[in-house]
Amino acid sequence: MLHPSFKKCLLGLVGALLLCLEIAQAHGHFHKSSPVRGTVVDEYGVPLSGVLVTLKRTKISVISGQDGVFSIDALPGGTLVFSHPLFNISEWKIKADTAITIRLSERYLPNPVSPGKAVEYHDTISLPAIQEERINVLYGRTNAASFLGSISTVGNEQLSTTPASSYLFAIQGRLAGLNLDQTAGIQNFNSGSLTNTNTILGIYVPTNSSGPGPTDNSEFNMTLRGHAGSQGQNPIAIVDGVQREWYSIDPESIESVSILKDALSTNFLGQNSSRGALIVTTKQPESGPTRLTISAQTGPQTALGLPTPLPAYQYAYLLNEALENNGRTAAYTEADFNAFQKHTDPIGHPDVNWYNTILNKNPLLSRINVNAAGGSNVAKYVINLNYMDEQGMFVTSNTNTYNTNLDLQRYMINAKIDVNVSKDFEVQLQAFGRLQDGNQPGAGAGTILSNLLSTPNNAYPVYNPNGSYGGNTNFTQNLLGQVLGSGYDLDHLHDILTNLTLTYKLDKITKGLWIKAAGNVSVQEETIVNRSLQTPVFQQVTSSSGDTSYNRYGAANPQSNTFSTTAWSRYRFFQLAAGYDRKFGNNSVGAELLADQKRSLLNYDLPSELTNFAGKLSYNYKQKYFAEASGDYSGYDRYEPGHQFGLFYAGGLGWEVAKEDFFGNLFPWVDHFKIRATYGRTGNANVDYYGYYIWREHYTSSAPTYAFGSSYNEGGFNAFSEGGAPGSQELANSNATWEKADKFDGGVDLVFLHNTLSFTADYYHERYFDVMQQRGDNIQLIGIGYPAENIGRNLYQGAEIELTYQNRVGNFNYFFTGNASVQQTKVLYMDEQYEQNSWNVHTGRPVGQLFGYIANGLYQTAAQAAASPTFAGYTPQAGDIRYKDLNGDGVIDQFDLAPLGKGRPLIYYGLTAGFNFKGIEFSALIQGVGNREEYANSQYMQYVNEGFLTQGNVFTQAYQQVLGRWIPENAAVATSPRLTAGGNANNFSPGFASSSYLLQNGNYWRLKNISLGYNLPYQWLKRAKIGSVKIFVDAQNLFTHEAYKGMDPEVSLPNYPIQKVVNFGIKLKL
Amino acid sequence: MKHRFQHIVTVAGFCLVGTVILDACQKNYESVPLGQTATIDDVFNKQDSAGTQALLFLANCYQAALPNGHNRVGGDYLDAASDDAVSSSSTVSAVQQIATGQYSAASPNADDDWSKNYTAIRDANIFITNIYRVPLNEQLPNGKPAIAAYRSEARFLRAWSYFELVKRYGGVPLLGDTVFTITDNAQVPRNSFSDCINYIVSECTDIQDSMRTESMVNGNSYGHITQGAALALKAQALLFAASPLYNGGNIDPNNPLTGYPSYDINRWQLAAQAAQTVINLAAYSLVPSFTNVFITQASPVGSNTESIFWVQVGTNTSVEKTNAPSGYTSAGGNGQTSPTQELVDAYPMSSGLLITDPASGYDPSNPYQNRDPRLAATVFCNGALWLDRPVQTFDGGLDKPGGITQQTKTGYYMRKFMGPFESSNPPEYSNTVHDFIYYRYAEILLDFAEATNEYSGPSSAVYDVLISLRQRAGIIPGVNQLYGLEAGMDQGAMRLAIQNERRIEMAFEEHRFWDIRRWKIAAQAYNTTPLQGLDIQQTSAGLLIYNPISVLTTTFFDPKMYFYPIPYSEVVKNPQMKQNPSW
Repeated sequence: MLHPSFKKCLLGLVGALLLCLEIAQAHGHFHKSSPVRGTVVDEYGVPLSGVLVTLKRTKISVISGQDGVFSIDALPGGTLVFSHPLFNISEWKIKADTAITIRLSERYLPNPVSPGKAVEYHDTISLPAIQEERINVLYGRTNAASFLGSISTVGNEQLSTTPASSYLFAIQGRLAGLNLDQTAGIQNFNSGSLTNTNTILGIYVPTNSSGPGPTDNSEFNMTLRGHAGSQGQNPIAIVDGVQREWYSIDPESIESVSILKDALSTNFLGQNSSRGALIVTTKQPESGPTRLTISAQTGPQTALGLPTPLPAYQYAYLLNEALENNGRTAAYTEADFNAFQKHTDPIGHPDVNWYNTILNKNPLLSRINVNAAGGSNVAKYVINLNYMDEQGMFVTSNTNTYNTNLDLQRYMINAKIDVNVSKDFEVQLQAFGRLQDGNQPGAGAGTILSNLLSTPNNAYPVYNPNGSYGGNTNFTQNLLGQVLGSGYDLDHLHDILTNLTLTYKLDKITKGLWIKAAGNVSVQEETIVNRSLQTPVFQQVTSSSGDTSYNRYGAANPQSNTFSTTAWSRYRFFQLAAGYDRKFGNNSVGAELLADQKRSLLNYDLPSELTNFAGKLSYNYKQKYFAEASGDYSGYDRYEPGHQFGLFYAGGLGWEVAKEDFFGNLFPWVDHFKIRATYGRTGNANVDYYGYYIWREHYTSSAPTYAFGSSYNEGGFNAFSEGGAPGSQELANSNATWEKADKFDGGVDLVFLHNTLSFTADYYHERYFDVMQQRGDNIQLIGIGYPAENIGRNLYQGAEIELTYQNRVGNFNYFFTGNASVQQTKVLYMDEQYEQNSWNVHTGRPVGQLFGYIANGLYQTAAQAAASPTFAGYTPQAGDIRYKDLNGDGVIDQFDLAPLGKGRPLIYYGLTAGFNFKGIEFSALIQGVGNREEYANSQYMQYVNEGFLTQGNVFTQAYQQVLGRWIPENAAVATSPRLTAGGNANNFSPGFASSSYLLQNGNYWRLKNISLGYNLPYQWLKRAKIGSVKIFVDAQNLFTHEAYKGMDPEVSLPNYPIQKVVNFGIKLKL
Repeated sequence: MKHRFQHIVTVAGFCLVGTVILDACQKNYESVPLGQTATIDDVFNKQDSAGTQALLFLANCYQAALPNGHNRVGGDYLDAASDDAVSSSSTVSAVQQIATGQYSAASPNADDDWSKNYTAIRDANIFITNIYRVPLNEQLPNGKPAIAAYRSEARFLRAWSYFELVKRYGGVPLLGDTVFTITDNAQVPRNSFSDCINYIVSECTDIQDSMRTESMVNGNSYGHITQGAALALKAQALLFAASPLYNGGNIDPNNPLTGYPSYDINRWQLAAQAAQTVINLAAYSLVPSFTNVFITQASPVGSNTESIFWVQVGTNTSVEKTNAPSGYTSAGGNGQTSPTQELVDAYPMSSGLLITDPASGYDPSNPYQNRDPRLAATVFCNGALWLDRPVQTFDGGLDKPGGITQQTKTGYYMRKFMGPFESSNPPEYSNTVHDFIYYRYAEILLDFAEATNEYSGPSSAVYDVLISLRQRAGIIPGVNQLYGLEAGMDQGAMRLAIQNERRIEMAFEEHRFWDIRRWKIAAQAYNTTPLQGLDIQQTSAGLLIYNPISVLTTTFFDPKMYFYPIPYSEVVKNPQMKQNPSW
């Protein structure tokens, strides 16, 4: 998106126009033709001031007043053009000399566009001083013009077309530098209980949760400029000024989401400043008449990326082939194949497509949103109500009185009130409440999905002739029984948050001085009610005399009714700040001092406290030369006392070149050209990812105990062992400290062609050091593990560009905006063990480089197989994967592990285009990733790609993928190795490592979002006092182009699949 | 006035907020997290005369050092990686990987216990170096302080862990009493094989007098290591040291890590003497019933006078459920272990004569008739009674139904260690003592016989050992009262007799796997022929036809596989660490 500081001059124009209005009215009319009078309103029917009304192809212009009324000298047949930076430009042909009402529609992009330099003709009007545009940054708003960091922003219009449960779905592909990778289609049902306990010194102590605290994001991996959440490096979410891991918020309820990427703009995060900040601002109070928005929408969802299982006869035939390849006897006969294929014996020879049996094709996602805002200059408010129901894809049965489906329902209330107690004193109060109710089948959605992946079509019949669930000794649970007959679990999550912010202007003491105090308290609790049960399964057996009987398998557990807490947390946050902003002639100075503390209490852990003492100085000369410096002395109490505080600092410089006279003369078509750079030292206190108080050497209980005594209960206590973190069996790391980074960010912002085309580019160079990793010579001889230590050094660099063009032809307002990011990482230092071969070395390669064996096709003949190097003890056969023996020693072993893939810099991008024409709104987003590689053989992908894995005494399902297996007849075109039953040590997890055979091109692009809406003409609504009625349809993930077709490029099995949503709705504004 | 009032309120408000923040800095939680309060001073507490915490730490030392041998290696018995059995698993089991040589330094086999044993050594060292801080009052029944006995137990566990390492890797780094900290350089070189044996032996010698004797054990101290165990470990260490692999058969005679440079017959004498010492304790004797050895508790608490050193497992049904024939679905039976024809053929007739002996009367068409009773106590053969029905391992039988269920590959299942459920009706298992015995008296006798035969030839003392075992097993004494043993055997013939006796007496007790290595016959045992099983066809008339089948082609890379490779990462991370030959 556009750099918000672009808005500076644009919004300056608004200020200018407002001033024009007064002057214009004072001067009366300049022309003598009869005036056309009218009113301009916004989408709520509320009068809109500051709209420039121009008679087309003339220089005649007026500006609408506070009541939205304008009066212009024009004749019928002429065309009026209505322009406002935040609204689409509208043309209206004058029909008769009657009063008219024009409704303007909001722009899709938040970045305002200048209505042009049409005011020039009023030679009596001079442009007033520019009113500054303020943007949402860390802990408040700041001047866009003087902002030197790197920021990307999306606004509500972009977010609200996404039919999804969380705003993360809506920002994918829209923020440069932020790469979102979806890993699950629905929020995980949290069933882990807090009541697991250890015994220490005879006392029961629950296990510590440690870690970063609860998050409601289980659907996306978020990486900012390449920093992964797995190392605790994902951005910090700041929701309405408070650090909270909140993502499950309806996109409609959000005003804007910004990402801060550089060292200077995140400096006040101190110990967490390496991570970047995701600034989420929910809808803000707005003064004026009450603006009420009501929207209701619903849409069917369709799962994407489900694999196609083999029908039973094919499965049986191929299992025989696999067994024979293993030198084992076949399991099925010709008669079996026939029975499977012809379905002549549905009980003895079942053929059940479980995907069709237990999955519902089109579960609904429904949302209702109500937003009301309004108020006076003294007090203004916003109230947002939201309801969401996301149904899961399991079938349900009317025989249950309760719901067994996976389901997520959310109720949210967010209210904010801003009161100006006096001219100098403002009080802002926010109350936020959220209830979330999850439901799942008692057997657990995760269990069912992985069983779905592994259960063959011929495993057992769905039902026996007597109506009981089918099953047998190997399958003691029936899949449909798990979906319908296993009771249910309820997950209740509730949050309450209140924010209070007091701002006092101390201009009386000295002009520009202010103080601010902010406080926040919030609580979260999540509980599970387990009402699961287990239904036994039966196998029909026919005795030799022809009698039918049923063998029961599996337990018959009655419905339980237990309750436990799964997460509990409480946060409090205080912040005191004092600032000074003043202009002395051409010199503007600013200063801020800030102290804050965030205390988190998670479950029964000791509270953790993050404390910051920070300050900032800024200066600019004529809004042309900018300088800023910032420092934060920041501490985290999870480090050893005495080693908890560190200093983090950053500085930045900027130059608004377009304001130089020489530049303006040379390039008059350039409206704005800023060059900026920041540099700073940041920190990342991710110690909690490595354990609870890892610096403290101690002895702790270990679960298994040695039972002395003749009755084996003498040792009834748990045994002791040493450790640095509970359960880790590692040495304590008393030197643990925060990871650090030196970050440089340089960028340019350009706006040309009357503000229609804007361009932003950033380059960054981030050197991370003291990165937590295990030392290389972590030998086992010492008898205990080494902890993570501050050892590693990594380099992250890359660039981001954003380009936006907005223009119109008549009433046809159109736009195009795109962003692209490229990033490359490099391990500068890693404490590696000695490697004699260059290809084994990690240092110098990308961070997280995957290593594996290099496949060189399949053996086509037994002779080839016999003559080639292979894994010790494995006898390859024709149809097996051949690996390269890199060091030429005749065996494939760890010395032949090499980096897999091309290691090219990752590229990700998003392109949005759309238009607004006479009430028709359209937009489409394409989101994609390039130079991506995916390893198509996670543990569960093996079920799909390899098939016939061992599960207890039987073999798992196989999928269409195995049809391309190597057999002598199709040797040349085989897409996968020969079939084997029960796993193969050579082909699918060679030497327990990876193989290039399974590394796939992971590039993809999706038609992520497409939206079409129609606004009913205002004339129809005006009398009913309705501002606007929009009916719309939007769709998510409508089309995907992927380089590798074998799996969804994002969500891997058996996670809940990614969904295509086609959503219908109506939105009223009044 | 109004403005002033507003100022005052505002300033007061901000002060209030400031006070709250200051207040938040007050301490109201403990500074040390609960659960991490225990430091080494709490575990080894100077005030704790009962030594409660320290003894819990000792329990941890036991836990770390003593594995449960039942289905230990990837779900199978270690001996399923020898020529005695194969795993019934349909996948490539961990023991099959070992038997077929599928392991390397970088992907070690499933029995690679390098890290596990050094963890046990570290734990023992912590106990050994700190226990004297505890003013333990407890006394042994003989009036000696118990603290010395506990410390000796930890020293035993350390010596035992070293011996486990030596069996696998040859000479390994000896760490003494060092407990490494995060700042220490732990790059220690390997000690020679000889150093390691000497260390283990001297530790056992040092601690033997301070330990509990068998008679001091009561119901509470049951399971603690006794003097007999220390002497047995010493005997076994010396027996290994005297064995061909190290003593005269060093695979790399110039390499002190893999054995001695040359043969020395006195090593056999030391081994014999060490075994004799255990015998002379007179604390142990053979239990009359062979099957009871494995399912009863040791004396003086139980009736098992044979058990010297075991891991406390307790009572359960898991041995039965995991290994019993797979057709007993209601009782549970997963048929994990398939003994080989080679093992079955090693059992003599009830006359004590080998089946290859023409006089034995062995009938290949009725192969399980009149066999050494230990066969039926160790292996389920077709027709054996179990849970009130005959075991059916013929093709299509209940316990070998074909299809994809896990079932025997050889026509046999393992019977050893199981409770007496032959005629149980209803067919259910009940909890049975499944302590895994590491050292028992029968083995000490065999150790003694082997060492004596090697040192001074097949004396009557050697014969007596074999006779006592065969007598207990239920073999018919025969007219010459030699229980089928050939009279006047020479040293070589006696060696084979002892080796065979050891194989059948100690099957599945984690001996065969190591014995074929220390005798240096592993290459022969693994590489000569594929392991055999039986395919039994039942005719419609009920007649059984026995067809030998090959079940697994084993591979042994001679000589490098006589030792496990040191884990690759240990060698590459520690320049001082020398890899074993050819790895």
